[in-house]
Amino acid sequence: MDFLFLAELFVNGLSTGLMYSLVALGITLIYKASGVPNLAQGAMVMLSGYLVWAVVSLLSWPLWLAIALAVVGMFLFGLATERWLLRRMVGQPVIMIVMLTLGLDIFLRGFVPGLLGAAPKRLDLGIGLAPIIVADVFVNRAYLVGAIGAMVLIAAAMLFFRTRLGTKLRAVSDDHVASWAVGISVERAIGISWGIAGVAAVGAGTVWGSVQGVDWTLSALLFPAIAVVILGGIDSLLGVFVGGLVVGVLGSVIPGYLDPIVGGGTRDVVTSVLIVLTILFRPYGMFGREDIERV
Amino acid sequence: MKKTFKKGMIGALFATAALAAAPALQAQETVKFGLFHDFTKVYTFVADEFSQGQRDYLTLINEEGGIKGQKFEAIVRDHGNEPQRGLELYNRAREEGAIYFMFLSTPVANAVVPRALQDKVVLGTPLHGRGDAMVGETFPYVFPMMASYWSQAARLLKYVEDTQGGLKGKKIAHVHIDTPFGREPLPILEKLAQQKSFELRAFAYPSPGNEQSAVWSDVRRYRPDYVLIWGAGNSQMVSVREAVRNGIDPSKILSVVWLTETDMKNIGESTAIGVKRVEVVQPGRDHPIIQRILDKVYKAGKGAGPEARVGNTYYNYGVADMVIATEGAKLALEKFGPPLTGEKLKAGMEMIRDLDTKGFMPPVTITPQDHQGGGQARVSQWDGKAWVPVSDWAAAYQDVVWEEARASAAKFSQAK
Repeated sequence: MDFLFLAELFVNGLSTGLMYSLVALGITLIYKASGVPNLAQGAMVMLSGYLVWAVVSLLSWPLWLAIALAVVGMFLFGLATERWLLRRMVGQPVIMIVMLTLGLDIFLRGFVPGLLGAAPKRLDLGIGLAPIIVADVFVNRAYLVGAIGAMVLIAAAMLFFRTRLGTKLRAVSDDHVASWAVGISVERAIGISWGIAGVAAVGAGTVWGSVQGVDWTLSALLFPAIAVVILGGIDSLLGVFVGGLVVGVLGSVIPGYLDPIVGGGTRDVVTSVLIVLTILFRPYGMFGREDIERV
Repeated sequence: MKKTFKKGMIGALFATAALAAAPALQAQETVKFGLFHDFTKVYTFVADEFSQGQRDYLTLINEEGGIKGQKFEAIVRDHGNEPQRGLELYNRAREEGAIYFMFLSTPVANAVVPRALQDKVVLGTPLHGRGDAMVGETFPYVFPMMASYWSQAARLLKYVEDTQGGLKGKKIAHVHIDTPFGREPLPILEKLAQQKSFELRAFAYPSPGNEQSAVWSDVRRYRPDYVLIWGAGNSQMVSVREAVRNGIDPSKILSVVWLTETDMKNIGESTAIGVKRVEVVQPGRDHPIIQRILDKVYKAGKGAGPEARVGNTYYNYGVADMVIATEGAKLALEKFGPPLTGEKLKAGMEMIRDLDTKGFMPPVTITPQDHQGGGQARVSQWDGKAWVPVSDWAAAYQDVVWEEARASAAKFSQAK
């Protein structure tokens, strides 16, 4: 067995997985505050990538300013989504709210490339292509930066939920009615959670956009992100971190050995199997909270 | 009263007949081409530019007085890469009188093939659709017109053979998106590997190809002499970047036709110096056809999109598609006269012999047997600023390509 190959698959799997975590973070942030699984997170990542690209390329402004503007823009987008879409859904079944986020995803995937151009666009973060070589193991520099970014954002989110505002969001997630009763603005809390998810999307959109270019395919990152949140636990930030690592490593190592035998295509199978097995045997994921309802 | 009623009925009948005849009369006014694209989903990387090239060339023809007095009209709509929507658009455009169709989407074009064969209208499938549609006897109304993916793969290998003193003993990696398109050249590559005694290994990455790191770690360890990359859109950009990151010499990378100036800019213009691709049309503006478009269409403010796109590779592919289709229309009008029908256009297309475009594309000959147009292509190399040809136009290993095409077409006939 070529252990260097295994090591390279493992290391690149870790960093790729954390890049997926970056996308998954937004889903968890919204779920933690509102109990809604946001299926539009992939499209929000795509929108963020487009925003950063537009400011850099069309306005010729510096990258840091583009990211800052995108953060503000996506926060406002999150607030607007809550105000104009979700607030109207109060009292509706959760499945309809999920369908609404799916509709938002489809809308953004069509509208944004239609408005800003569908051809892939360059988003250069200035990260060189030369790999970091450790004992003949090639480590992808861009993925490493993305992985560090993911860890920083996950840690920041963990700290945020320990603040006063974060505690309010957790309370809203636990019980909307009780939160109302103690004077917490549930609408505002949910709006803020969408806004923060928009900010997380900027991180994911910028890093992934630099790796693969900015186009509609950024929205396809939703699939691995869903696997991450299901495996880790949709309401757990620790789950986003660990789930990303597991999805990334398994999605790198297993296809690395199986693809040459079966002719390819096993990574999506690995991801799908992870989703199915987790839902069957541990529906709340590795670190998710198991809600017990009295019947 | 009865007489009045009878008169009214006759009047109504005439009015109805006149209304029914109106679309047919209207259809004779212009020759309608249904040029449908996936503007919103998978083929977005090419749709805008390709469509703009098509529309601009038809505008040019109209500005120059049309062909034999006939003007052309492009019906442009989005099918979103959905076969159902494609069929819907096909039906609608058929009712509007369209006689030529192009969908630039393999799933949609494949869904339309049986209808086009039945309705006897021309379906252009340049650079997409069924590879075996080149067999004119089986697919009389389907015209790939340009080198198929099989011919492109063959042309790339011929280039290696010609420049490296043969293929024997070489290691070729075929790194492809894990879709029917990515796998399409494999039968040709496998046959040629046997014939020419080179080693072939396929590496698949999942669609849409935004993450390929594990695959390229494996490719690096394989130590190939040449790498064929077979994807489209941003997956091509990721492939080239991963190849470079893994220390593969860019000049050893050979791409399918879907690699353009925009991709190279996205990769980094200097990063990918040396990458080669197969091409079926000359890119750039340095050609009389493109100059005519700039002069007569854009100066008149009638361009279908931003002038900056004129001359881009995919724009020129769109132009080339219309150059061939309108040449078929011209020959059909010369022989049969107006109004142009699907059957006449088909016959006109099959009369094209050595179409000379002064180097814009290889000479095209379409016969009732060969709808591929000869299968010629050339290899060009990225020099940091532009694609520079490094080979002549030529068709390669067409015996192997046709053997595969005929076998596949025979299966289609049996399944009918």
